[in-house]
Amino acid sequence: MKTYILTRVILSIPMIFILLTVVFVILRILPGNPVTAMLGPKAPPEVVKSMEAQLGLDKPIIVQFGDYIANILRGNFGNSTVTTLPVIQELEDRFPATLELTIFSMVIAVLIGIFFGSFAASHYGKTVDVMARIYSIFVYSMPVFWFGIMLQLIFGVWFKILPVSGRASPFMTPDNLYTGLYTIDAILNGQWNVLYDALLHLVLPSVTLGVVISSIFVRMVRSNVLLSLSSQYVISARSRGVKESKILYAHALKNAMIPILTIMGLQFALLLGGAVLTETTFSWPGIGSYLVERIRYRDFPAIQGAVVFFALFVVVVSILIDIINAWMDPRVRY
Amino acid sequence: MRSISKVFVLMLLLLMGVMVFAASSKDYVIVGTTDKFTSLDPAKAYEYLSVNLLQNIMTGLVTYVPGTTQIVPALAEKWDISQDGLTYTFYLKKGLKFSNGDPINAQAFKFSFDRVIKLGQDPSFLLSDVVKETKVIDDTTFEIDLKYPFAPFINILAFTVAYPVDPKVYPADQVYNGMPVSSGPYVVKRWVRDVEMELAPNPNYYGDPAKTPTILIKLYQDANSLYLALLGGEIDLAYRTLLPQQFAQLEQNKKFVTYVGQSPFMRFVVFNVKQDPFGNAKIREALAYAVNRDEIANKIFAGQVKPLYTMIPVGIWGSMNVMPSQDIAKSVSILQSLGYSKDKPLNITLWYTPSHYGSTEADLALTLKNQFESTGLIKCNVNYAEWATYIDYWNKGVMGMFLLGWYPDYFDPDDFVWPFLQSSASPLMGSNYSNPTMDQLLTDARLVSDEPGRTALYEAVQKLMAKDFPYIPLFQGEQQIVAKPEVGGVVLDPVQIFRYYLLYKK
Repeated sequence: MKTYILTRVILSIPMIFILLTVVFVILRILPGNPVTAMLGPKAPPEVVKSMEAQLGLDKPIIVQFGDYIANILRGNFGNSTVTTLPVIQELEDRFPATLELTIFSMVIAVLIGIFFGSFAASHYGKTVDVMARIYSIFVYSMPVFWFGIMLQLIFGVWFKILPVSGRASPFMTPDNLYTGLYTIDAILNGQWNVLYDALLHLVLPSVTLGVVISSIFVRMVRSNVLLSLSSQYVISARSRGVKESKILYAHALKNAMIPILTIMGLQFALLLGGAVLTETTFSWPGIGSYLVERIRYRDFPAIQGAVVFFALFVVVVSILIDIINAWMDPRVRY
Repeated sequence: MRSISKVFVLMLLLLMGVMVFAASSKDYVIVGTTDKFTSLDPAKAYEYLSVNLLQNIMTGLVTYVPGTTQIVPALAEKWDISQDGLTYTFYLKKGLKFSNGDPINAQAFKFSFDRVIKLGQDPSFLLSDVVKETKVIDDTTFEIDLKYPFAPFINILAFTVAYPVDPKVYPADQVYNGMPVSSGPYVVKRWVRDVEMELAPNPNYYGDPAKTPTILIKLYQDANSLYLALLGGEIDLAYRTLLPQQFAQLEQNKKFVTYVGQSPFMRFVVFNVKQDPFGNAKIREALAYAVNRDEIANKIFAGQVKPLYTMIPVGIWGSMNVMPSQDIAKSVSILQSLGYSKDKPLNITLWYTPSHYGSTEADLALTLKNQFESTGLIKCNVNYAEWATYIDYWNKGVMGMFLLGWYPDYFDPDDFVWPFLQSSASPLMGSNYSNPTMDQLLTDARLVSDEPGRTALYEAVQKLMAKDFPYIPLFQGEQQIVAKPEVGGVVLDPVQIFRYYLLYKK
């Protein structure tokens, strides 16, 4: 087990290095100078020059690359060219919002996926099954931001029962921030109204993202449960007169979970991609909206930082999932 | 399964039963905007919201009377200008204090001015171009010596770049990112970067106290989010920037009050006169005659912008209409005289950026293309680049004809003509226009100090521009505010300072 974990960690190092290089190169190939993008049309050339020197953009590209890698190894993502604050600090401020949204979306996606998927599999070929398939195709092809705006319009504007955007109502943020996750911090502070408010704000964005991601889960759960349902142990359980619901949830679904878990890990990457759009639609102050905003300014350190942060997050999650998988299924380990 | 559906239905009912509290307290006003702010250090702040926030938490030697372009003393009691126009002496009010209790004195002003110039950030050129040196005469007397007489200088002093900062808090050699120390009506109480900012009254402010104990400014990602937040009752007032259709719909909505005011913001077409065929003034003239500004204003912007026939917007003194209205026959005859015909049309490319001036920009470019092509002698391609790329392209002279906008730094005609028409400044605008007569007129207008004399010079400048056509001014923006009926104190300022400290709830 130890060797397995070690191999997974070591294998991810070249992957991250390649990613760092790709991000760096893409940013330099793109037309658009961060200094002029930031200073705008009125900046005199001397100011542009001095700013370039200050940001190290006047150095040869290979030197810039060396500095960039060396700094990242030291955990230094540099300072944002827009706000001059350390990127790592900005990411730390933003990350809890993304994490909170991601967790809630994942829970919603998994719940929909497991219930709808296994329900469809147990009713193979019937209306529910057809509906499940239509659902997953429809939802998968639906643009995240469109779905988000529809929900905002229906629940926020017409019925006025849910907040349209943001993480909290005015003056409803937790008094002390421990984790940055408003729900957890509200509980730790014992501020129940803040918790309630934070949950209300989470509903629309996490449903939007969760539903979109759930399409894949529904399909995966459905096909894996179908596979399990046709296996020998299910047939023998049926012949022994075990209740159908017990067969489905206790036997078929349990065995179908291993491949599903792997897919869930992979979906994390997709989830973060979806988070960029969801965060923009709901003015959710996470890393996704941060990235979009800073691309506009060609804020190289911030973009690099955010992408690397995302990548590390995905790598860590996928390693964790692999480890859980290996622990659950000994075949993976050997 | 049945119990699960029961729980689900119960949860749904619970959710439906919950009503979000509508903000109804008189103690605060919540303002929503799509603008972003990056720095609240006067030495660095330059984009609209950063500047506007500073205008509410700090103040300078002089300021504008709300709702007018009239300059009055602020932290200064009075001032003298020497005969030669080179020395400005300011006498400060007595006992001025920053929000933290530190004194606002001549030393603080000297520190702040020198710091702006030394840091060389975005707005620093406004001071460094003209200021030779600053002197502390005594605690309450501050002197500024200029490199050359510069009539609009007093207007620059009303801009945020000339606001004093606390020397004990702001480092002399780097941009300050902490909580601002105030000299204006409000202090920043809480600041969640990129999310919201809470303002509370500054107890040490010399002037009338702010009308509302708390202002909350919420930042939205785009016009749709802002619009939905307004309809959903999350904010009391939306300022910058809804889409024209959204604003038009809100004008019909009885639950909201809309305010419309003049804005000095303007849009225009730039010609890079170093790129063929735009080096030929005749071609520029033919294109100018093809433009129909009313169609642009009404069709694209639902009448929410005003056609503009000069580079100095209406509302700024000296403005006079000089550009021609649409005259296709005239445009055709010029093009024919240059040898263009239906078989041999003039081929041009118009550039725009989809990521800086809102979603109407593509429509604007297409409308202009159609207007040019309505002559039958022009074939106009439309091309676009994302904003950061766009800036790069215009600096490198890639684009021959492109759309731009301008928001002034100081409210004087000089800021609407010098950066565009003066031969050392026009390359920065991507135009490269140069005319010695124009340079002379522009320089003279800076040296003369009386308004009638300067007005005559700026009229000559505008007439000459309408002969050379280095730009085609298109339209002038409008300030728009949508608020709940209970919000009072909304002042739409010609210099576009939005004053949170005048807002209150009825």
